[in-house]
Amino acid sequence: MPKSKILIVDDDPDLRRALRLRLRANNYDTVHAQDGYSAISVAQKEHPDLIVLDLGLPAGDGFVVLERLQRLDALAGVPVVVLTARDPQNNEERALKGGAAAFFQKPVDNAELLDVIRASLADSRPAAALPS
Amino acid sequence: MSDQATRVLLIEDNPGDADLVRLRLVEGKSLVEVTCVDRLADGIASLGLHPPSLVLLDLNLPDSHGAETFRTVMAHSPDVPVVILSGQDDEALALKAVHQGVQDYLVKGDITSKQLERAMRYAVERQALLRSLEITRKQQLEFKNQFLSHVSHELRTPLTCIHQYVTILLDGLAGAMAPEQTDHLKTILKSVNQLHAMIRDLLEATRAESGKIRVEPRCISIGELVHQAVTMMRPIAGERQVGIEIGLDNRIPLVHADPDRILEVLINLTDNAIKFTSPEGAVMVKACMVAADEDAVYVSVTDTGRGISPDAKALIFERLYQDPELIDNNRTGLGLGLFICRELVKLHGGKIWVASEPGQGSTFTFTLPLYSLAKLLAPVIVHEGQIRDHIVLVKVELAPLSKTLHGNWREVWQQAIETLRRCVYLDKDLVLPPMGGSAAAQTFFVVASTDLEHSGIMMARIRGQLERNEELKACATLVISAVPLAFATPPAETSLDKQVQAVANRVTEIIMAGMEAAPASRANDHAISNSIRQVQSIQKESSKCQNQKS
Repeated sequence: MPKSKILIVDDDPDLRRALRLRLRANNYDTVHAQDGYSAISVAQKEHPDLIVLDLGLPAGDGFVVLERLQRLDALAGVPVVVLTARDPQNNEERALKGGAAAFFQKPVDNAELLDVIRASLADSRPAAALPS
Repeated sequence: MSDQATRVLLIEDNPGDADLVRLRLVEGKSLVEVTCVDRLADGIASLGLHPPSLVLLDLNLPDSHGAETFRTVMAHSPDVPVVILSGQDDEALALKAVHQGVQDYLVKGDITSKQLERAMRYAVERQALLRSLEITRKQQLEFKNQFLSHVSHELRTPLTCIHQYVTILLDGLAGAMAPEQTDHLKTILKSVNQLHAMIRDLLEATRAESGKIRVEPRCISIGELVHQAVTMMRPIAGERQVGIEIGLDNRIPLVHADPDRILEVLINLTDNAIKFTSPEGAVMVKACMVAADEDAVYVSVTDTGRGISPDAKALIFERLYQDPELIDNNRTGLGLGLFICRELVKLHGGKIWVASEPGQGSTFTFTLPLYSLAKLLAPVIVHEGQIRDHIVLVKVELAPLSKTLHGNWREVWQQAIETLRRCVYLDKDLVLPPMGGSAAAQTFFVVASTDLEHSGIMMARIRGQLERNEELKACATLVISAVPLAFATPPAETSLDKQVQAVANRVTEIIMAGMEAAPASRANDHAISNSIRQVQSIQKESSKCQNQKS
């Protein structure tokens, strides 16, 4: 089975690098974006299987990215895992309603994050196999 | 204020006194506009229509007397200064009024125009000063809370980075670590986690202070939460060689509470108890009913630690309180934990307190209001002064298909409740509030005033309606079943309330049997396993609607 490709969207380069290390060590391919605008363009170009999305981003925050993704047929089915320093009380429900598959507040427990990534990928695969 | 007229509202029912005051006002040097009314009701109406600069108030009016008079005025217009016109005989009351926020008082008969003018001017100035102080105080509080919330958020970002790279090193993703290096990294990680917990507490306390904590009470089993909390805390207790035990009453009714928030309280109290207990000591988490108070469940956390001094007991729930004897060597928090606990318990309508003797350990207890099923049931199951002949409990189970929750799972099952509510007759049937946590499988119950045969129609209706929801169909399985509630005819003298309570108890038993995996500890175990068998045997309606992702 080919490696799943994960798009990491975070404006903090150190954190992007850490996530890349972590995900690659778990046998995923990664691509990256540092703001809302490039998140969409990289996603359209790379067709990731899953997106790890920060909420506080320059050039269109995470909610804007979520909304755009939902409107693009090719990307609407891609699971999005939100990983943010923001407070769940004001953001979790909004993110899940906006189409996110899961919400994590930083700092995240890596094992938990990896579990959810694995399960979300497994869930979305049958849908991805359908002709669009 | 010197150029503009001072608008005075004079509330005085004695025409002689009113004229005299009016005369004194006109004699004064400053420009005054007087409105005079002789009843409090008229005064309040005038306050609403044309807010004056000041109220001159007689306390004994035809429609209000004494303290009531100034309290009414101040409650209606807190920003308008009030000066009381008192008689010789009620000067004591006027003085009391000043303590409660009235600006000044003048004794009728002794009033000179100079004195009146001066009293009014100072009253207006003082009131303005007070008001600006209050505004500043509110702004500062708001600023402080915003600042704290911003700072905690900003602290999280670098903390996350430290956390990520320490775990990368610890997990060997950047090469193997020597045992000593691993040890040091673990120490760093522990500190990072402590910092994280402090930031969380800081945010939570800030929110509590500005009234922004949201509590979503549901019908929950406190026993389940106690088990959950103790399971989470057991490793930490083990590390410190402190024993941890659970004590649950045989029958604890369901409580009305937010499971996430109460778990937070339990974890906080248990964590404290473990922290202040030396090795070989023990912590006990209990939930029970108390004979003297039938409206609440008492949840307590007892330790065999060093106890709390009487001085500390008075302050322990206050924000930022730290036991001075512990600050030097055991500092692991901000002193916000108990403050947060108190606020959370208060939001649930409960109370929290501590009993402790130095050297004898401590017991922290909080109460949670009972979930009163009887009150909900009464209007539905009582018909023409007696309990209906046939009552059926319909159970609707929704289980998510995959292990990861569908992003909208919460929304999906909340929609399901709405659908259920549309499937029942409001005067005869009752959809019980959701039970248990909000995470995975959801079970809903409907108490229906019908016999088992006719309940089939309701179940078919429920299934039909729920299956129309494509999203729900795509992500969950649906099982619907029914169990009749049969009762022995009660003795003739049994009150209706008691009969309703009996139905409520029976419903609770069945629900609890379904909710708890191991009902072994319960006293009337036999009855419950019977009802489980009943439920199982009547599951004629149970089929699955399978996953059809499109």
